[in-house]
Amino acid sequence: MSATLYDVAYWISSHLLGALGGLPASSLPGAWGVGATALAWLITAAVVFAASLVNILVLIWWERKLLGRFMDRRGAMHVGFAGLLQNLADGLKLFRKQVFSPREADPLGYYLAPTAYLITSIVLLGFLPVSAGFVAGAVPLSLLLALAIFSFAPLFIFVGSWSSNNKYSLIGGMRTAAQMVAYEIPLLLSVVSVVILSGSFDLGTIVQDQARDGWYGAPLILGLIVFSVAILAEIERIPFDLPEAEAELVEGWNTEYGGILFAMTMMTDYIRSLVGSYLVVLLFLGGWTLPTWGGLGILSSFPLSGILWFQVKTYIVFGVFVWVRAALPRVRTDQLLQIGWRRMLPLSLLNIAIAAGWVLAGWPHLTWPSV
Amino acid sequence: MASSPETTSPALPPGVKKTAPAPPPSGLHGIVAIPMITAAKQFTRSLWRPSTIVYPYERLEDPSFRGRVAVASGRPIGVGEVWDNYRGVHALNITTCISCNLCAFSCPDTCIEMVSVPTEGGKTKRCPQIDYGKCSFCGFCSDACPEGCLTMTTNYTLTTSRRPEMVYSPQRMYSIYHSKLPMNPIRLERPENEDCILLDQDLCIGCNACARDCPTQCITMIDIPKPEPAPGQKLPKRIWKEPSVNDADCVRCGTCISVCPKECLYWGARP
Repeated sequence: MSATLYDVAYWISSHLLGALGGLPASSLPGAWGVGATALAWLITAAVVFAASLVNILVLIWWERKLLGRFMDRRGAMHVGFAGLLQNLADGLKLFRKQVFSPREADPLGYYLAPTAYLITSIVLLGFLPVSAGFVAGAVPLSLLLALAIFSFAPLFIFVGSWSSNNKYSLIGGMRTAAQMVAYEIPLLLSVVSVVILSGSFDLGTIVQDQARDGWYGAPLILGLIVFSVAILAEIERIPFDLPEAEAELVEGWNTEYGGILFAMTMMTDYIRSLVGSYLVVLLFLGGWTLPTWGGLGILSSFPLSGILWFQVKTYIVFGVFVWVRAALPRVRTDQLLQIGWRRMLPLSLLNIAIAAGWVLAGWPHLTWPSV
Repeated sequence: MASSPETTSPALPPGVKKTAPAPPPSGLHGIVAIPMITAAKQFTRSLWRPSTIVYPYERLEDPSFRGRVAVASGRPIGVGEVWDNYRGVHALNITTCISCNLCAFSCPDTCIEMVSVPTEGGKTKRCPQIDYGKCSFCGFCSDACPEGCLTMTTNYTLTTSRRPEMVYSPQRMYSIYHSKLPMNPIRLERPENEDCILLDQDLCIGCNACARDCPTQCITMIDIPKPEPAPGQKLPKRIWKEPSVNDADCVRCGTCISVCPKECLYWGARP
């Protein structure tokens, strides 16, 4: 197995500190060793953070270009190559704007909500493995942790909307809370089927199992569909963007946010879109691995190929999300609850039964059950 | 049923039956599948060439667009032309301009100002200068121009980053006139029963102001007989001349009316 991101960071930091103190880099004594470890973590976090932000910019560009073609136009064209730097320019513009809050708003909640919304979403990027080595903190229960942190967002959206002291914001926040009731249970139940097949809550292990046994998207196609629909509701994209609903609520729950605060909410929306696409790829589409039968093994044999293929899959999944956005209208709250409780919940339960059936049949080496 | 749709809708012509609109597609097929397939078709159609053009770099007049884009008139756009009656930047023929002020008078945006332009022989004349920061391209000025010297061309690229460059001097519009851009057709026909200049002979003092300022020099001062004063009556103090308007040459600019000190000239039906 190749070196992980942390290994590279530790090599850099230990050699840096060793050169500073005139010490051997391989065995730094006492406080120097602690410092090297801390510096290595800082470097790792910075690299993951920077890579994720660049990824976000490209992801927004990808959405704008795809959406443009869906609408018979071109999308951003002028800044950078084919408009690649347009989002950077937009972000810089928002960054230069004045930070303000409405007079009647509650400052604590108003400023805290987008900050916490952003931070909890960025934390997710820290332990989602992008490839076998490119992960900042590999924790054994990363899947559970990811889903737990992922579902923080409605709380902060509600706090922010309530603190804004604006009726449109408040309606958006209420809708977030109502929406959460609809999608959270099918989402978790469809994840259960993956855990049944894999037997692990560790995303890295789940991906390795898929590389060995085949992608779970094939036997659990029902789970893939339910999970994708539920993740669309989780990341609040059309057709489930009830909290934003520009046509009805002015700008939804972040109506009162401007400047960098708006940029933070906007960026967090796309971080969550990225993380949602990551999760679909990790759980159902084999993560950073590609099939190795035939001559296909050569595709994943060159350095950093895992990162490349993971990003390619992520962008394809996100492209499907954009396709859905271009085609489907927004659902009402009651329709969303209908979809969640009367369609997706039975389907996810059926999916669990199917997963149990696969295990009973001896997945991945299928035999007829001898019972 | 007491009332059917055929009997309750009087707007329909006879013989046409109102059919009920098709019910919207329902179910997973109608709500998800059909829109997704429609979007995918649109996406694949648009992949090679979207409907939009990258404007500053591509223009509809480019040869690659010849015959591609049908305008409202049904004619495709050809090379070098936009629409034959497109109202773009003005072209001014200074040599035929008669300084009648009608363009500035008819401008609803008051963007036309008459400025002095040197002509041959050391003289100056007043010609229109247009501020395109105010202009709404309505074309009233070129409609009003009696000599057809102020017309609109098909050039629509007036972009500039400096406000003073938006003001086009008469000389600049004269150079546009010389660049032979496609121009709007010049309409010089006039209505049959057009009002003409009439004179209230009792008020006129024969001051020559109208004849002096007439841009077409269609007013001549003719002598009138000095009447014999009746006993005890005092003749008015005036010059015994009065203007005679050559109606065929008059362009209806109204300069004579506006310069008349006694308000003795007025618009009226032709006698």
